Amino acid sequence: MYGETGAAMRAEFAALLRQHRVQQRLVGTTAEEREELGGLIRTYRQSVLAWLGEAMRAASPLAFSNMPPAQPNPFRSVGVSSAHLTAAGELARALDLARQQSTARPASTDELATPSANPMADRWRLAARAAALAEHDTSEQVSAQMTAPQAQALVGDVAALTQALVVLDQRYKNTPGWEPLAQSARLGWASLAAALDVNLGQPDYAVDHLGWRPKTKVITGSARPGILGVLQAQHNLVIRMKSAPNATNLRLVVDSQRLVSAHLAPYAARIDERLAGRWAERAETYYVVQKQLREIGGLLGKGGLAVAEGANAVARLKALPHDTIVEPRVLSGFQLLFKRLDNRIADIIEDGIEQGAFFKRVTLPRIVGGGGELVHPVRERFVPVTSATDLEVVRTARERLRPKDEVPMSTPGPTRVDLHSALIHRPTRGGAVDVPNI
Amino acid sequence: MLLPHAQTLAQARSYLAALADQASTIDASSAYERALIELDRIHGDECPSADTEGLTEDRAILLAVATSALEELEQYGVDPLTVELVIAMLDDAYALDGT
Repeated sequence: MYGETGAAMRAEFAALLRQHRVQQRLVGTTAEEREELGGLIRTYRQSVLAWLGEAMRAASPLAFSNMPPAQPNPFRSVGVSSAHLTAAGELARALDLARQQSTARPASTDELATPSANPMADRWRLAARAAALAEHDTSEQVSAQMTAPQAQALVGDVAALTQALVVLDQRYKNTPGWEPLAQSARLGWASLAAALDVNLGQPDYAVDHLGWRPKTKVITGSARPGILGVLQAQHNLVIRMKSAPNATNLRLVVDSQRLVSAHLAPYAARIDERLAGRWAERAETYYVVQKQLREIGGLLGKGGLAVAEGANAVARLKALPHDTIVEPRVLSGFQLLFKRLDNRIADIIEDGIEQGAFFKRVTLPRIVGGGGELVHPVRERFVPVTSATDLEVVRTARERLRPKDEVPMSTPGPTRVDLHSALIHRPTRGGAVDVPNI
Repeated sequence: MLLPHAQTLAQARSYLAALADQASTIDASSAYERALIELDRIHGDECPSADTEGLTEDRAILLAVATSALEELEQYGVDPLTVELVIAMLDDAYALDGT
């Protein structure tokens, strides 16, 4: 997730920005040793620069200028024709230039993984490692899902980190063999302009939730005791539902969810009345879906494993002693899994009907049994093909089952604030705690 | 599937669906539903639609007609043992419903 890697980078840079008297921290009596450490730090910086450039490339298709477009009316002077020159574009250009002009190579995997004896160089290493990991989170696939406000938030982060690099570049300039950033002043001003430009809009920090996540896996092994066993089965069910089930198995899964929701609601009621109400409502929704799925058939798909996990969840839940107290954390885990499963089941129903995996059983107007005649004309030969939206079950899935899109509360988080305050940080005179004693 | 078979199956499905709709508890309703799903599975999901409208609300009567419709299925080449198993599921569900 970008939230994790970005936070790690910002935390390391905030700590680096709070360190002054750099030369004394570069332990080593001889100039050669300090030069070597400086070279190592420059390779780490190169890795960070590489990510900054990549993040700008990911965000650039969405980083629109806030400048008004050129007025087509020649008698009005609002807007300029050079609206294509954005602050974000300029920052990307300056970053690319800084990366190309530097002679340092990006840090190798060994350098990223080996801890350094020098605490300051180690902070650089951790920042570079987070940058290398963040390349995963701002790849092209991820940026395809990004919205413009999220891209703005990303540009804001890049601008702050660039500013940190510029400040640190000034501070490290006395290191032997140090190579300053190319056009560092221009880089600083471009990052300032980009940050200001971003804040004209409303950056959306939900960008933190984008990016690579470890694949969720089935929890194997014996059943966990008590409520955790139910949670385990429910989790496995969500994963097993990745493959589409056939209509019969889908009905069994829906049945298991109806039971799980209905039986869990009393446990939730002891902790959170509102949650219990939602789960009782969920059981009711699944009852309606179950009733409507009776008229849906289809042989495509599998889903046997999902049914087994659903049955596990129900059986374990029924075996639970009635005085069990369920922790709020477990309840929220269930709520999360329910939300994912509801979404997935709604997807399966909609896609299945649209793609022809599921079909509708049709009631003919009348079937004439035996009237004594040999030939019975069928009352209606052709059944009109109804579009997917006409089906009751699709309507239910869309209106009741699919979880309401809750806008996730996304705050800038403490690390962004911390980095910004570290950028303008000054060492306290006299009682400087952070500075080593000489 | 011939027409009489389809008609009997449709009746059995309708009665089971009506029982599931009118069950007193959620567990009983789910048990009836599973009997219905089992019946569909036996037929390879090749079943006519169920119609619960206008059926009686007396569960005892519904149980009797559902059982007789299921028993009638044996005449149309459905394996008698599987039919018996569905009837056993139905009886279990009814026992769950009564308590």
